[in-house]
Amino acid sequence: MTSSAAFKPIPMVSGGRAGTGHFEEFVTTPIEFLHRAYAECGELAEFDMGGLHTVLMVGPDAHEAFFRAPDEQLNAAAAYQMMVPVFGEGVQYGAEPGIERQQLRIQYQGLKHDRMINYAGVVAREVEDFIQGWGDEGVLDFYQAFTDLTLKTSTHCLLGSEFRYRLTDEFADLYRDLEKGIDPSALLDPTQQKESFQKRDQARARLEELITEAVRSRREGGVEHNDMLQIYMDATYEDGSKLTDHEITGMVIWFMFAGHHTSSNTSAWTLLEIARHPQYLAELTAEVDRLHAQEGELSLKALREIPLLEGFIREALRLHPPLNAISRRVLKDFIYKEHLIEAGKNVMLCPHVSHQLPEYFPDPARFDPKRPQPENVFAAIPFGGGKRKCVGNAFALLQVKAIFCALLSRYQFELCAEPESYREVMPALILRPSDPCLLRYRRRGDGKPDERKMP
Amino acid sequence: MSQCRVEIDKDLCQGHGVCESEAPRIFKVTEGDSAYPQAQILIEPIPENQKALAKKAARYCPNGAITVVELDE
Repeated sequence: MTSSAAFKPIPMVSGGRAGTGHFEEFVTTPIEFLHRAYAECGELAEFDMGGLHTVLMVGPDAHEAFFRAPDEQLNAAAAYQMMVPVFGEGVQYGAEPGIERQQLRIQYQGLKHDRMINYAGVVAREVEDFIQGWGDEGVLDFYQAFTDLTLKTSTHCLLGSEFRYRLTDEFADLYRDLEKGIDPSALLDPTQQKESFQKRDQARARLEELITEAVRSRREGGVEHNDMLQIYMDATYEDGSKLTDHEITGMVIWFMFAGHHTSSNTSAWTLLEIARHPQYLAELTAEVDRLHAQEGELSLKALREIPLLEGFIREALRLHPPLNAISRRVLKDFIYKEHLIEAGKNVMLCPHVSHQLPEYFPDPARFDPKRPQPENVFAAIPFGGGKRKCVGNAFALLQVKAIFCALLSRYQFELCAEPESYREVMPALILRPSDPCLLRYRRRGDGKPDERKMP
Repeated sequence: MSQCRVEIDKDLCQGHGVCESEAPRIFKVTEGDSAYPQAQILIEPIPENQKALAKKAARYCPNGAITVVELDE
């Protein structure tokens, strides 16, 4: 242990209770609590998660130190054990570091540049299916709608068409049970006896049956497919061994979780912000129409040149980041500036707090799709950062852009209630819009969209 | 004519391959010991006629891992 005498103390957040500390407040109102922690204590704020002392680190300097620290010092697996029952023992944070590294390499195959170039067209075709039957106008719950849509688009792009068209209601329900098994109480003990965790475990077991059956029938069929399931089936570890069916199931769930959450929430927030800011609508639709006029099928490169839509998505990710408790366990004493964070504690970053620092984001509460990106690469961290940054970040942006290029070329959107009634809620450690997330869609009346064929 | 060189922050690079796609004479993504492949620099300094491509690679890198550094004449 490093002697703490020479270091400056880290301020403690007020209001901790005997025994449970700040845990209940964190579980009940995590975002409000973390904002309060920063307002009270500044760059470093310590709080007590029922015995697990945690230090919130705020701002680009702190983010950089956090992300550049080696895994042997600030460890992700120890901090994210709540994901082990979801993905399964022996997968990702439930595996030895050397195995996890090899599994990451396997997952990465689906996000290689040569695969990404085909994904925009797949998303556009899914949106075409999605809007079939919409008619000229109507009202939809777009949080639910985007959850369904992005489950299909993510699955179709990342796991392939065979898997996509096996996506039955049962599969979607099981997936939701897994999601509900991730709540703030899982941070402390993901194995406790409670109904949502039992359902999570039952869903994981049933998914393994379904995926194992898919693998078996594919092996018997003897036909090679160009998708991730095939990559999982063919992959070998460095010692020559193959992934077990249990591991393949975990890899599928892991990939779906990673590709789905951020995209569905970001799509919902982007749509809400588009509807909240009608002053940009003409410019936004002109941008999308111009892109469609230039390109047949949307290409990866073309989707890079839509600055206003990209600005909407980036601002949605800045003000409503889906993941707000990016955590590591301190395995070796960690010194930041003149402070010592001792081994055994957790460190945490909260994008929702950091993304509102006025030094990096002037007038931070204002939604401004034309806001320049901060030069400091550690200022905006909706996907984390460093070696463990969400490697699907480029895919997520591509997917959301492709969804909106397709939607905005056909429809316009309006809120169905007062703008402030669409609130932020965070029931399962993921920030999302409150229910119901109703918006009215109306077919564009300017005639332009019908001149163009959807891909 | 001014020259430049490029730097890759290896703590940030996850081998997305956008740089190699934009500027294949400057960048190559290779497998190493880390979980993800990483970009390597093939030439230094960057010739004048490749400079615009180097800047494009830096601009579109999803992780902001590339910096273009101008060299004094």
